[in-house]
Amino acid sequence: MTGRIVLVIALGLSLTASAQQGLDRKKVPPAGPMPVLRVPAWTKSALANGADLIVSEKHDLPLVSLSITFLGGDNQFEPAGRQGVASLTAALLSEGTKTRNGDALSNALQLLGTTVTSNVGGETGSVGFVSTTAKFGATLDILSDMLLNSTFPAAGLERLRGQRLVALTQARAQPGSIANRVFPRIVFGSNHPYGRIVTEESLKAITRDDIVAFHKAYYQPGRALITVVGDTTLAAAKPVVEKALAGWTRGGERPAFNYPSVAEPRSTTIFLVDKPGAAQSTFAIGRPGPPRSTPDYYALQVMNTILGGMFQSRLNANIREEKGYSYGVNSGFGYGKGPGAFRAGGDIVTAKSDAALIEFMKELRGIVGSRPVTDEELTTAKDALVQRLPGTFASVNSINVAITTLWTQNLPDDYYQQYAKRIAAITKDDVLRVAKQYVTVDNLAIVIVGDRSVIEGPLKAAGIAPIVLYDIEGNPVVTQ
Amino acid sequence: MTLTAFVVAPAAQAPVGGQRQAAPPAATTSDTLRLPFDTYTLPNGLTVILSQDKTTPTVSVNVWYKVGSKNETPGRTGFAHLFEHVMFTGSGNVPYGLHDKLTEGVGGSNNGTTSNDRTTYFETVPSNYLESALWLEADRMGYLLDALDLAKLNAQRDIVKNERRQSVDNQPYGRAREILAHATYPPTHPYSWDVIGSMSDLSAASEEDVKNFFRLYYAPNNAFLAIVGDFEPAQVRAWVTRYFGDVPRGKPITRPKVDPVTLQSEKRLVYEDRVQVPRLYVQWPTVGEKSDDRFALDVLASILAGPRTARITKALVYDEQSAATVNIFQSTNEDVGDFVLMMTPRPGHALTNLEAAADAIIERLKSDGPTAEEIQKATAGEELGFVRSLESNLGKAMRLSDGAGFHGDAGYFRTEYKKTLSVTAEDVKRVANKYLTRGRVVLSVVPAGKLDQASKPEQSTRVTEYDEKKPEGGK
Repeated sequence: MTGRIVLVIALGLSLTASAQQGLDRKKVPPAGPMPVLRVPAWTKSALANGADLIVSEKHDLPLVSLSITFLGGDNQFEPAGRQGVASLTAALLSEGTKTRNGDALSNALQLLGTTVTSNVGGETGSVGFVSTTAKFGATLDILSDMLLNSTFPAAGLERLRGQRLVALTQARAQPGSIANRVFPRIVFGSNHPYGRIVTEESLKAITRDDIVAFHKAYYQPGRALITVVGDTTLAAAKPVVEKALAGWTRGGERPAFNYPSVAEPRSTTIFLVDKPGAAQSTFAIGRPGPPRSTPDYYALQVMNTILGGMFQSRLNANIREEKGYSYGVNSGFGYGKGPGAFRAGGDIVTAKSDAALIEFMKELRGIVGSRPVTDEELTTAKDALVQRLPGTFASVNSINVAITTLWTQNLPDDYYQQYAKRIAAITKDDVLRVAKQYVTVDNLAIVIVGDRSVIEGPLKAAGIAPIVLYDIEGNPVVTQ
Repeated sequence: MTLTAFVVAPAAQAPVGGQRQAAPPAATTSDTLRLPFDTYTLPNGLTVILSQDKTTPTVSVNVWYKVGSKNETPGRTGFAHLFEHVMFTGSGNVPYGLHDKLTEGVGGSNNGTTSNDRTTYFETVPSNYLESALWLEADRMGYLLDALDLAKLNAQRDIVKNERRQSVDNQPYGRAREILAHATYPPTHPYSWDVIGSMSDLSAASEEDVKNFFRLYYAPNNAFLAIVGDFEPAQVRAWVTRYFGDVPRGKPITRPKVDPVTLQSEKRLVYEDRVQVPRLYVQWPTVGEKSDDRFALDVLASILAGPRTARITKALVYDEQSAATVNIFQSTNEDVGDFVLMMTPRPGHALTNLEAAADAIIERLKSDGPTAEEIQKATAGEELGFVRSLESNLGKAMRLSDGAGFHGDAGYFRTEYKKTLSVTAEDVKRVANKYLTRGRVVLSVVPAGKLDQASKPEQSTRVTEYDEKKPEGGK
């Protein structure tokens, strides 16, 4: 009652005050003219050893971002049974060179106020840093020393191996990490590069010789792009880069990305992984998807934005906002050189696991046809995608990523200039077509990591799909 | 430097017509600290901070309310954060969903965060959507209650409970933070509960609680509005007046009295969790925003752990290899702070030994102090860190509002920068001796059924599935 009275007073105040200023607060202020898209310019060049070099200038702040990106990753370069060698080698670049041990490298970088990062992922790897303009040359010298003169001390390998084994053990306690390991194994099978995971056995099998061999095979200029973005010019940066990397001799080539075909997905199945006592169930629902090079990319972007790519997407609006079953759910595509997975999911309150799965399936069925996309949904998704672009060129690092992505994915130089036009061309029919082709509802792997004793009965009663039990390593549980 | 002081003035003393004052040129600052801004107040007490940057055609808006979990009362913990969620459910003139549509739906983003001390709402939008962003923020500042009902509150309550499950209850070691807070601060101390609050308190919050909270704290005289990015200043000032000018001033606010905390002796606790590997936490009560000792504590933290040559990291992770990870940080809130050490052992190594080894290193630093090179290494990254933060309009808006809200000076970042760079070896030695004493909380989180894996298990009190308001083992 009190609440109502106060409400009236507040409204009264607003009307009076607004009237004085001629302000109608109900009216949404109109947007101004759309700002012109300013895509950073860049210059392409090459080093004598064959590495590509791209320099992009940005002079408003005294910062430079440099990275060396390698085409290919652990999917292409890790020997069988040695999963984890790529990432270990990347980490070992910090463990010492012919002239600096690990402590000396660390001290030198601390005094320069920066860090050199190094990693290898599934299909690309990189080493790089962001420094102030003044410290650019000195930092690059250290990066070069790490890249070319690393000694891979055995003690460093053993320490890193030990730390990774602990991290792997800890991951077994985290429902989200369990789902991240189990989902790709189930979707792609353990023989497909996308389904391989690092295990205790593979970590323990890696020798120093494996590391040295990986380093030699992988870190080659013939598959590398060097990007320098920020407060510099091609004329200033190129000689510095050439001098620092003078010892890096020609070699290596861009790998082919030949992935084996993925077995046709089986009929929709629930893969239940027991995590006794879990307060939430982690859902990962999906199937193999298209590569980044698919001509359907733009239609898929629009479709996924509507389905699960924004806060007010269908999945989140329903399962989080309307039903309150989760703190957040979403969907997306892996988009690599191979069949990166479509995956929808999130963390669901244990007691609502069955109800949430019913809603997930309802939304998936909706996007593939039972609930056609509206004009408003289509417009909002397109606006969000196109108008987001200028913000992605805000920092030297984000510009670096934007340029590098074009190189790794074989996209044209005018990709960003053409992007708005491509998105604008997408119709509701396109959205429906790609949803039917890439989402489907009959061939999904539904991975649920949660408290079996509470959720199995209700999931079975919901009658959505047969349930099979898997362990936290992604292997079927054999029942007596 | 003199800036208009804007901190919640009583109505009678409010400057009529507001003040417009540009930040004076900062004579003492190097070129690195180039973050120009203007600040002024509206007659209703709203502090406005403007900083133009045309590098990227986006604008960030940050509305910073001086209210957080420390303004809650025992039995209603988690309230400030629950309220943050309610602020996204629509307001008098903004139907639910439109806020997302006019931010994320036009290529921008939005979010809110709650801490012990403040709640902040922000959006980054393409620069042509700035006017609608200001309209959205003004409407929920002025007219939130017009659109609030119990159903909305209940829906957000469920979501917040899921947030707690996801970030605390279902997260290995997820409850350590609240156990440490309960143990460090006395039961009624405003910093003794965690921001996320307890499940039972979240259930207890009533619609009336929400309304009273809003009327008191979500008033322009308790708010700071920072706008950073690609805009025309005259146009923005007109819009700010247009949309925020008639939001009525609120009542004077009584702030909680926050006593500094010192622990007379060591409290040792052990908590069984669904984890595979045990972990040790050591927490010392220290100082908050208002004490300059926080700068030396930050430097101390990076001398002890982080880079491979930091003392504890080098000894335990690299040389002895008894620890898989070591983390140390000074967590600075407005009135109080904590210095926190976390260590995860390698298999076969006991928490008891890790604790003893870390203690010995800390004692050595307390007696000898750090070297000049350690100080240099710990502060050499400041310049790069600061310049990189200038790349983000949102980051700048946050920095300016934190300065205005906590220190009455949007340009406090200059002071912060200068004071961090002037920390000496003597300062670090002094704060180590002053704060890293036996008055601390030592918490072992161990796998269920493995109480013997705790550090000094025989001296540690077991924390059970406690009533979150009165932790066992808190005493």
